[in-house]
Amino acid sequence: MTIAVSTTPSRRAAADWVRRLPEYLTIWVPLLLSAAHLIAFTLWTIWMSFTPSTLVPVAGWVGLRNYSAVAASRNWQIALDNLLLFGSAFVLLSLATGLILAILLDQRIRGENLLRSIFLYPLAVSFVVTGTVWSWLLNPGLGIQKLVRDLGWTSFRFDWLIDRDMAIWTIVIAAIWQSSGFAMALFLAGLRSVDADLIKAAQIDGAGPIRMYRRVILPTLWPITITVIVIQLQFAISTFDLVRALTNGGPGIATQLPALVVYDLMFQRSLLGRGAAAAVLMLLILLAVLLPYAAWRYVQRRRAIHA
Amino acid sequence: MPITTTRRQLLAGSAAALALPAFARAQSAVKPRLTAISQWSAGSDGAAITALGKKFEEKGGVWQHSPVPGFTTEMMNKLRAQIMAGDPPACSQLKGPEIAAWSKIAPTVDLDAVVAAAGYEKVVAPDLAKLHKPGGKWIALPLQIYSTNMLFLSKRAMDKAKADKIPVTWAEFNDLAEKMKAGGVPYPIANGGTRADDGQKFEAALAGISPTAYRAAIMNLDKKALEGPEIKAAFVQVRKIADWMDPNVGAQHFSTNLKRFVDGDMGVMIMGGWAQGVLRNAGFKFEDFIIAPGPSDNSKPVFLLNADAFIFWQRKEPDLQAGQTLMAQLVMDPAIQTMYSQITGSIPVRTDVDLSGEGWSDGQRRTAAALKDAIASNQAVLSLAHNMAQENGMTAAIIDVITEYVKNKTIKPEQAAIRLADAVESSR
Repeated sequence: MTIAVSTTPSRRAAADWVRRLPEYLTIWVPLLLSAAHLIAFTLWTIWMSFTPSTLVPVAGWVGLRNYSAVAASRNWQIALDNLLLFGSAFVLLSLATGLILAILLDQRIRGENLLRSIFLYPLAVSFVVTGTVWSWLLNPGLGIQKLVRDLGWTSFRFDWLIDRDMAIWTIVIAAIWQSSGFAMALFLAGLRSVDADLIKAAQIDGAGPIRMYRRVILPTLWPITITVIVIQLQFAISTFDLVRALTNGGPGIATQLPALVVYDLMFQRSLLGRGAAAAVLMLLILLAVLLPYAAWRYVQRRRAIHA
Repeated sequence: MPITTTRRQLLAGSAAALALPAFARAQSAVKPRLTAISQWSAGSDGAAITALGKKFEEKGGVWQHSPVPGFTTEMMNKLRAQIMAGDPPACSQLKGPEIAAWSKIAPTVDLDAVVAAAGYEKVVAPDLAKLHKPGGKWIALPLQIYSTNMLFLSKRAMDKAKADKIPVTWAEFNDLAEKMKAGGVPYPIANGGTRADDGQKFEAALAGISPTAYRAAIMNLDKKALEGPEIKAAFVQVRKIADWMDPNVGAQHFSTNLKRFVDGDMGVMIMGGWAQGVLRNAGFKFEDFIIAPGPSDNSKPVFLLNADAFIFWQRKEPDLQAGQTLMAQLVMDPAIQTMYSQITGSIPVRTDVDLSGEGWSDGQRRTAAALKDAIASNQAVLSLAHNMAQENGMTAAIIDVITEYVKNKTIKPEQAAIRLADAVESSR
């Protein structure tokens, strides 16, 4: 009797488990595999950054020597300055462009679907292509400057691509062109999900359109804003292909970014240990962005539960 | 002591006697096969290595070439991956001091016997031979030679400048560039915007000013020479060159601007001999340009040596081993070297190849003559920009300083010289 009672539920549980097996396999196997890869390669890179590896990985311990060498190098210092400038300019400007585009599209205009596709299209283009196309457009001898001069304005100057102080801005321009559509899509979704009753109530209270956006609609968008900022920031930190195609770190070494330095150290100079150290430094910068975000998300969720 | 030597010789002799028939049998039993990686996929380089592969197949071999387009470093990444996976190619392109560096990470084939059988050592420049036998044994074979400081003079730009004399010293060179500028050539110096391109301008300047200083500073990294007056003089010359270059080229490859060069929109190109193959491959005629050795202030040619080579990696498979032997024999063959150089525009490694016949250009004859003269006057030095003088890490550190100087005209020559010495010091 007791035996029968205990086997029935366990058999049912077993049958249930078998029935759900495909589900577990599709979720857990890829998840575990990718997590294992991510963790294993991260740990391997961290270990590598403390070894004297050059051409190929070798065991050994050099302490923080690789880190101090990277930190002291001119390339890395330029890369950090550029990252700060590029990161903040790119995030703020793509946010602003995306928001403006979204608000304009939200006016129930004709051909909205077409425009939305056009603005989102750059996202479908690889960064290498973006970089190459913009390198032609921005080249003073081929692109915009030549076009305007040929039209008659002969003193027109737009040579940022070859100006070592302005070249970093060409990367900002290309990056904004590429990804403000993405910000626009997220913002548009946010605008569309604002409670219609809220808008109606504001209209009854006599709020004009500017006031309505400022006081009623935009404040509801800030969780989306934070998401966009975090995604764009982690993109900014890991930018590689765009710069490689657009300026290749030039003129000279004026547009170096951390990812370029990592590639250069590892594969061009064959200094695996130093390259790994630079990569770990990049990871730390990324964590400096992602950890506060994770903490914020945690606090939000706690608040939602207790509310 | 004499007894041990005799015994060792005896042992070696008998081992060889035992191994020889087995080796011969292995040779006849298997079809030679070669797995090779190089960076040559397109243009004259691609055509040349494809032709080499055809010859390999004609001799009964199986040719398996995997090109990795781009710069040498990209090819090295594939090589690194294959070596780490324990599956190195039977042979791969590799050159300069990288041969010594890479030979330490995986076992290479001892080519001494094949090289001796071909009598190759007698016909190779000694400095070059040294790079290919880092541990005293031949492990790699040079395939073709280029000089990286050749002058390519655009005929149309020369006409605009009303000049017909090929410049020999830097003073004459500067004079010609001024004349071109005055005659309506917008950019007297033809250029690309890559790092190697900038590096070539500097090495041509320094070696032309003083080959002795170049050898001491760049090849031997001598501290005193690095702080010497020649380095500063070279930077002064590079600034002049930079002022004559088109700043708009960005990160472009030199070949992007060849049409402008031929049209006389750009005047003089300081480039390696490979540009001849690239120009011809792009459909330009020899009447469009003149090729001459780079400026040298003591009027004797300075040859900045760049040699492509193959390194051979140890494999256990008998067919790959047979393929390596066949490949080595082909690479050293005068007929093959002639075929290869005639396609790419280089000159043969063998100093005994006659370049007077048809199929060779005046530029190649001048290059070969320059090499002979430069070796005689001890003015043949190894190229920095093309990874012959130093390993990649050091080269990259030096070129960082040069390329920044070329693009940033607010850096003074004195400052650049100090930065160069610092960069070398911190990468030692």
